[in-house]
Amino acid sequence: MAATQQDVQRSETRWAVWVSLFVVIIFGLTVFAALVLHRNPPSNLERIDPRTLHLSGEFTEPNLGTRVEPNGQVTTRIVATQFAFVPPCVVVPADREVTLRLASPDVIHGILVSGTNVNTMVVPGYVSQVHTVFRRMGDLLMPCHEFCGLGHSQMLARVRVVPAEQFRPDAQGRVSCAAS
Amino acid sequence: MLRHRNLVLAHLWLAFAVFAVAAVFGVWQMWVRSPLHAPYENPQNYFLSVTAHGVSMAYVLTTFFVMGFGYFVAETALGREIPAIRWAWAAFVAGAIGALMAALTILSGYASVLYTFYPPLTGSPFFYIGLVLVVAGSWVWCAIMITAMAQWKRANPGRAVPLAMFGTVSNAIMWLWTTAGVAVELLFQVIPAALGWTDTVDVGMSRTLFSWTLHAIVYFWLFPAYIAFYTMAPEAAGGRLYSDTMGRLAFILFLLYSLPVGLHHLFMDPEHSTGFKFVQTTLTALVTVPTLLTVFTIAASFEVAGRLNGGTGLFGWLRALPWHRPMVLATGLAFVMLWFGGGGGLINMSYGMNAMIHNTSSVTAHFHLIFGGTVVIMYFAIAYQIWPQLTGRTADSSDFAWQRRQLWLWGIGMMVMTLPWHWLGLEGQWRRVAHFDYDDPLIAWWGKWVDVSLLGGVILLISALLLIRNLASLHGRRAAEEAPPQPMRYALALHPPAHLPPALNGFALWNALVLVLMVAAYGWPIGQFIVQPSPAAIVHHVDRPG
Amino acid sequence: MDRKWRLRGILGVVAALTVAGLLGFIVLPVVQGSAAGIDAFTAICRAVGILPGSPARPTPPSEAAPEPVTKVAWTAATFEALYRADRASGARLAEERCIACHTLEGNTPDPTIPRNVGQSVFALYKQMQDFRSGARVNETMSPLMKDLDDRQIADLSAYYGRLFRGAIDPAESGRYVGIDIENIVTNGDVARGLPPCAACHQARAGGPIETPTLTGQYAQYLEAQLKAFASGTRHNDIYHRMRSVAAKLSPNEIRMLAIRYAGQ
Repeated sequence: MAATQQDVQRSETRWAVWVSLFVVIIFGLTVFAALVLHRNPPSNLERIDPRTLHLSGEFTEPNLGTRVEPNGQVTTRIVATQFAFVPPCVVVPADREVTLRLASPDVIHGILVSGTNVNTMVVPGYVSQVHTVFRRMGDLLMPCHEFCGLGHSQMLARVRVVPAEQFRPDAQGRVSCAAS
Repeated sequence: MLRHRNLVLAHLWLAFAVFAVAAVFGVWQMWVRSPLHAPYENPQNYFLSVTAHGVSMAYVLTTFFVMGFGYFVAETALGREIPAIRWAWAAFVAGAIGALMAALTILSGYASVLYTFYPPLTGSPFFYIGLVLVVAGSWVWCAIMITAMAQWKRANPGRAVPLAMFGTVSNAIMWLWTTAGVAVELLFQVIPAALGWTDTVDVGMSRTLFSWTLHAIVYFWLFPAYIAFYTMAPEAAGGRLYSDTMGRLAFILFLLYSLPVGLHHLFMDPEHSTGFKFVQTTLTALVTVPTLLTVFTIAASFEVAGRLNGGTGLFGWLRALPWHRPMVLATGLAFVMLWFGGGGGLINMSYGMNAMIHNTSSVTAHFHLIFGGTVVIMYFAIAYQIWPQLTGRTADSSDFAWQRRQLWLWGIGMMVMTLPWHWLGLEGQWRRVAHFDYDDPLIAWWGKWVDVSLLGGVILLISALLLIRNLASLHGRRAAEEAPPQPMRYALALHPPAHLPPALNGFALWNALVLVLMVAAYGWPIGQFIVQPSPAAIVHHVDRPG
Repeated sequence: MDRKWRLRGILGVVAALTVAGLLGFIVLPVVQGSAAGIDAFTAICRAVGILPGSPARPTPPSEAAPEPVTKVAWTAATFEALYRADRASGARLAEERCIACHTLEGNTPDPTIPRNVGQSVFALYKQMQDFRSGARVNETMSPLMKDLDDRQIADLSAYYGRLFRGAIDPAESGRYVGIDIENIVTNGDVARGLPPCAACHQARAGGPIETPTLTGQYAQYLEAQLKAFASGTRHNDIYHRMRSVAAKLSPNEIRMLAIRYAGQ
């Protein structure tokens, strides 16, 4: 089979079409997820001063952890710092949408919650925000997954997913590991 | 023999020597991460090692290999003197000094910031200045490559630039574009912080500037492998390159689309908008195309060679290929690893899937497989191919046998090391950990798979040491009965282009399009920090007490 | 022929950018926004990145009363104040009010009172500010800090922090008291989620700015502080950094760590 120049061109073009189709399909999945499931990568763009994080409202210590807001939304606020998460254990309800908001007063950290699609960087200067529905019950690992210094390997938190009947907010709407 | 063989040898030996040392660090790191107890195991040593291993493999092995190979191609493909040879040597010396500075600061514990730097963690200024010297040296190389091609074109008006050189210059241009990001980050943010001139750093800006460099740099590493695929492998297989045009198109597509996609390394970051992440995802989808086209073209070239060699039937040509030749074997192994590594790349690009594996061992597995595997095995093959012309010695069948062993060990070791990593990453094993709690029931079962990948790492170390042995054995006096080495013969295309349109023979248009793409993709993502700087984070020095 | 390639190249780039731009900046945010009750203009601004928040989600509400554990923030102003500090003034102040317990050399004879000589300037500044604000309470220190202003505290910090005769020194190695304690210092304990002490309390650790030097400090003082953190009596550590660590240590470990850091 002597491949003429036209043969070569035709086969390359045919392959290019198939290859492009393949890539378009994979790319199309992302577009589908964005249009139908409203999925986006975590891109909150909300700025916050890391140096005064502990002074100002939302991320001061008493305000951290899980809280059911007056409008029913479940928000869990966590601070990632060298070398622990505050609080180191949070409670979240299963089968209900949870919003996680994280900030760092010092260096870059990151989190994932094992077995879920929660994964985000925590960059000093910004509030990271992710939304998910926890399906699996039990204690999930939430390690810091970005190098943040010599204590990085020990930086771990637990996410306790409880069924709805065990998720009992107190008077201020807060739920903590100690209580549950 | 090559006129400037010492220049090439200096670059390649520096690259491979650092590579071998870094391989030892790598194995130690895997030992530390495993349930087995490793000597000198503590976080200081671990993160020092991770920094040393990363900087060596990502900055030193690669830059010096690319430069050395580039000089080789410039001389052999163009058949003329390398211009500004004194500058080339000066660049090598500057780069070597820079690499030494970086090495010394890392090894003495003053720069454990990892090869990705991660401000606000800030190491010794000498670390960063050392790396700036390496980059500056490589910029001189870029100028020489571009000049060499321009001079050849003037002396050969209307003729097609040899494909190997066209690829090399594409790479040089792409490198100039991409290093701008990290250069600005280092010169304007990190080094001033390291020197103590500033107390805070805009982390959003620094991450974004680094991401500018972060993707095209891996294509900078990849280009020699693809140049070998297009211009050396078909020749070694005994055939011809299926399509010369496709090679040029691949190089151009890499130049265009590997640059404006860095934001895909920041998918999980809060400082960029969904819109720009989406735009760069689209462009990332486009940069998968040249690789997929290359797979077809090289496979077709091999089919031509196989059938020329008597192979028949749908797959018989595969068996008929001269697998005993190291370049052919390496290409085959590289393609197997490209299948897995490239698949990982497609997963990373889809940010929904990326969310499942970001910053897990899957990421580590992906780049070890695609770079450490597919690309670096071709570095070995290229070295084996050109070494005789550098040393004046000819390789015989015993040499080839040892080279094949080394290549097989590398391919097998890489698969054994990275496949468990991929799996554990999916299960949530995260990165850059000096110590896992294997007593935790959620983590305990990872232990044996970490041991398996440690075994893969040991195989790789053996292969790395074998590489040094193989290259060293090709030095020394040529025996009387030994034939002198053959000059370099690049693969001929099935239909060599009689005339090439300037668009496929030069870069004026493509540079202009790169500018358009970079402004569109990175204009606002960087501009936003100039218009409104991020709330600044305090610098954390790791090179001085508190 | 050239024209064909040039056209294809330019068209390719234009098409890619147009499709990406239309989808990413207009179609996706408008569709997502409408499902989430966000108007198209806001959704597009968020997708471009000129407004914060996600185009697919309304921003969650948040109100909280600030109850900070300390009033100190490491801002440019704070750094400036420390760099411009006047050590001579600091020396005079020390002579007036610190000499009785801390001596002028910062080398107290009483092991329940911390040595200050060569301590981190940032650590000294923060602790004195916390005594003044009430974030940290001590019956001797609190009244002494009450009437000092920011500049004076900065001067005092600079004075004691820049003494170097017999300085407490993060680069010193401390005293060997056993492999288990040494292990906690260097490796922490991942099972308890305990980071190594050396991750912060060491030269070149890169930890929090206000980390004090421990090596060479009095064991009695160190033990008392760790116990206070463990019980929560002392709570001026930002984000529980020391409270969470101390609470995980056993009383024996606390005692041995204090001896280890005290050195000779």
